[in-house]
Amino acid sequence: MRRFPSLATLAAIAVNAAFGAALGAQDVLVSAAHITIAPDATLSPGRLLIRDGKVAFVGDEIPSEARQRARKLDYGEATIIPGFVMAQTTMGQDQDLAEAAFAFTPDLLAAEAFDPWHEDLAALAGLGITSFALSPSPRNVAGGIAALCKPGRDHARTADRELHLQLSLIGAARDQNRAPTSLLGAIDMLRTGFRDAKQGLQGGTDIAVLRQVLDGSRRAFIHASDYTELNAALDLAKEFAFEPVLVGAAEAEKVLGRLVQQKVAIVLGTLRPEMRLAELQLPATLARAGVPFCFAGDPGQLRLSAVLAIRHGLDRKLAQQALTRTPALFLGQQASIGSLRQGCAADFTVWSGDPLDLTSSLLATWVDGVRLEGDQPAGAR
Amino acid sequence: MRSPWHLPAFILPLLLCAAQAVAQIEEPPPPPAEGEQPAATGTEQNPSGADRERGNRERRGNRPGGPGRRGPRRAPIAIEAGHIHPVSGPVIEDGIVLIRGDRIVAIGKKGEVEVPADATTRSFPTGHVYPGLIDASTDAFTDPAISNANLDPGLAIGDDLQPRHNRDDQLAAAGITTAYTAGRGGQGAIVRPTHTGFEVWPEKEHAGLQVRMTNGPTPSHALQRQQQLEGQLRLFDGLDKYKKAKEDHNKALDQYQKDWEAYLEYHKKNKGSAQPAPATPSAETPAERPAGGPGGDRPFRRGRRPPGGGGNAEAGEADDIDRALELLLELAAQDRSGRSGSSRTEPAADTATPQEPTPKPQGQDPPQGQNPRAGQPEAAGEKKNEAPKRPTYPKAPPEDPAKETLLAVLDGKMPLRVEAHRPDELRAALTFLSEKEVPILVLEKAYGACAIAADLAATGAQVVLTDVLPSSMPKAYEDFDPQALPAKLDAAGVPFAIASGGARLAPLLPTMAAAAIGKGLAPASALRAITLTAAEILGVQQDTGSLQTGKFADLVVFDRPLFESDSHVLLVLGRGRTEFEVK
Repeated sequence: MRRFPSLATLAAIAVNAAFGAALGAQDVLVSAAHITIAPDATLSPGRLLIRDGKVAFVGDEIPSEARQRARKLDYGEATIIPGFVMAQTTMGQDQDLAEAAFAFTPDLLAAEAFDPWHEDLAALAGLGITSFALSPSPRNVAGGIAALCKPGRDHARTADRELHLQLSLIGAARDQNRAPTSLLGAIDMLRTGFRDAKQGLQGGTDIAVLRQVLDGSRRAFIHASDYTELNAALDLAKEFAFEPVLVGAAEAEKVLGRLVQQKVAIVLGTLRPEMRLAELQLPATLARAGVPFCFAGDPGQLRLSAVLAIRHGLDRKLAQQALTRTPALFLGQQASIGSLRQGCAADFTVWSGDPLDLTSSLLATWVDGVRLEGDQPAGAR
Repeated sequence: MRSPWHLPAFILPLLLCAAQAVAQIEEPPPPPAEGEQPAATGTEQNPSGADRERGNRERRGNRPGGPGRRGPRRAPIAIEAGHIHPVSGPVIEDGIVLIRGDRIVAIGKKGEVEVPADATTRSFPTGHVYPGLIDASTDAFTDPAISNANLDPGLAIGDDLQPRHNRDDQLAAAGITTAYTAGRGGQGAIVRPTHTGFEVWPEKEHAGLQVRMTNGPTPSHALQRQQQLEGQLRLFDGLDKYKKAKEDHNKALDQYQKDWEAYLEYHKKNKGSAQPAPATPSAETPAERPAGGPGGDRPFRRGRRPPGGGGNAEAGEADDIDRALELLLELAAQDRSGRSGSSRTEPAADTATPQEPTPKPQGQDPPQGQNPRAGQPEAAGEKKNEAPKRPTYPKAPPEDPAKETLLAVLDGKMPLRVEAHRPDELRAALTFLSEKEVPILVLEKAYGACAIAADLAATGAQVVLTDVLPSSMPKAYEDFDPQALPAKLDAAGVPFAIASGGARLAPLLPTMAAAAIGKGLAPASALRAITLTAAEILGVQQDTGSLQTGKFADLVVFDRPLFESDSHVLLVLGRGRTEFEVK
């Protein structure tokens, strides 16, 4: 007499099948000769388990059952590192990210003017960039609030609408057609705003943003390039007791003591081969002084900037950190980007060798667990 | 001016002795001992070697003035290193490069190369030794004022080189031991960067003619560019006429020599009756000497060496001797003209100065105007009628330095280096090979060379690539990828060098080659592109570009493989001399 499985057995089989299917479809086990989880942690060889777009487990922590059920991608002798993070860029949308009629707009959100289909965004994955802070243009003294964005398969997306406040004291912020027309005017404009915020006299949304900077709940990035601009930014920060991040800072070596004293961080612009030696040696100078910094500027030159810094004395590990973990820290996003620790987004790049040797080529770029650039490795199964 | 052939034989030895006293024959100074500052800096030529043969003579002590060296002989140097990259052969692990004087005398594994007891040994157990790097295109030591100026082909950058840029001193420290430096036009030169400046590579002061066949990334229409390119192709127009004028002058000079020989011969046979007039300068005889053209050769006597041999110094000696001879002859002529009634007193050929009335033979009138030498004996009267006329030195056509340079290019004495960016500009440049028959063509920058790689390989053109770094190209060039270009040219079999393009970027030469590797170029090809292939394009591969026995001891020691981002130079030797060293 034939016997049919019991209802309980059937139910158990169905649950297991569903659970197994879920695991097999979602989990990806990535392995390679070297995986840099964080600047000070490299697994050789290494493995990552990716689930739902995040790093679920790393190395030996991966459960054996999950390891067996996951889709396996073996990159062989390649090196995997966290994806590059750009701490500041307008991504070719400069015109729409600054209000030309009025220079003081601290409450405007860059995310509201973001075009996810902009043609420049398609190249980011090919450059190893997996996150960027879309910032208001430095053409306004108080441009507004930056947003965290990430490239995607079809279009980019906004990951966080409100990051830091962007301020600017550089020449681009001075316009003869509207105030301020000088550095003095720009400094006065910011000082007035911060003073009002400190005294609580006015209650507009713009002053509220400045109040957040003063109470430490929002960071301020200040564009300042030469000595006078840097000094002015540092004076403002000292007067109102906040720790800024200076953007550009080409002459930072002239105010090195103040940078250390006031615990200032630097977002460097693009390093170009034809620059002065002092500019090319600036990253190494900042590193020796203990000033945290990261690379930004032209996305196409991001990796070259790091290589040039290494050629002019910067430690290789610090250079990699300045492309990944440090900008994530500056943006307050270190829990999700800039490293491949458990719980971080599965944003990583795969290289044929050391990523900071130009002899290496980019093999693949993954963002949120999705491969955007490169082919599937030969060992995929 | 050549040695006058019409001198009586007994005067000639006397004049030669006097001429040697006049001509200052300089011996080249000995090479400096190791560690000494080299004496030659700036634009001075390296006095210790013009070519390999001369260098060999020096090594053997067979120098002018007798055997034996002047100054202390340099002790041999042995460079021991964990990895030696000869370029011309496989990598040698735990190897030695043995240097004597300015040349490599042995290279091989430790234990296989015998190191002399008096050798100075430098050890780099984990170091990587490479041939001295060669920068095939730079602006080092040139005047920044001319960086954007289009120079005339007759102008040579080698005449105005000196350390100027604030990065010029980095070439030697970057491991570059040979570089081709040029402006936007004119002639470039090959130099050796040193720790005190540079030396011009002997006989390479005129090492290439620069031509620009592009307006850069300025947006332009293809037809408009075609018109401009056609204008550039007329560069060699008009040379046929100039060349013919020179050839005619050379033929006239040959005839002049023959006429002088006949003139002397005639008067030797008729000795005592009339002596040939000295070659005093006359209105018909240009006293000035035509200036030298490119490379120091006499422009109108190509292929014919002046008395005393060849080479720059020997041509100068012949000139000195000729000038001395002329001076002495003038003095002699003045002396003779001061004596009266001497049978040796002769008027100039074109001055009719009768001295004694010639008795006319009966029934015979002396022929008119045939023999201006009055006072000749009647017996020579018949011979007077047969006397050849004193030949007149042929007038040289005006010299054009630009045309001389272009002729040197057509003769293959120097390459034509054409800067062209877009594919249509490159194709136009190739017509120099096909239609103008320029023997050696080097294309510079050549961003669009991918599209015509097969044509380049077929024509034998060589390419010097700059801007081989990740960069944002101008909008007009956004389709070009200079970083990927080396791999494509290598696959097509086109010889190419990777160059810095400027003194400021010289330390990044290995980084540029590394970037090309990242885009698919084989590492061995990348290394050749900044060493041996670069030497071949510059025409100095016999002496440098690889670590081989007999070549110059040009080498650089890195602490790591040179293509790694944090590799650093530890030691640079140029012709066996220390040009840079980390203490």
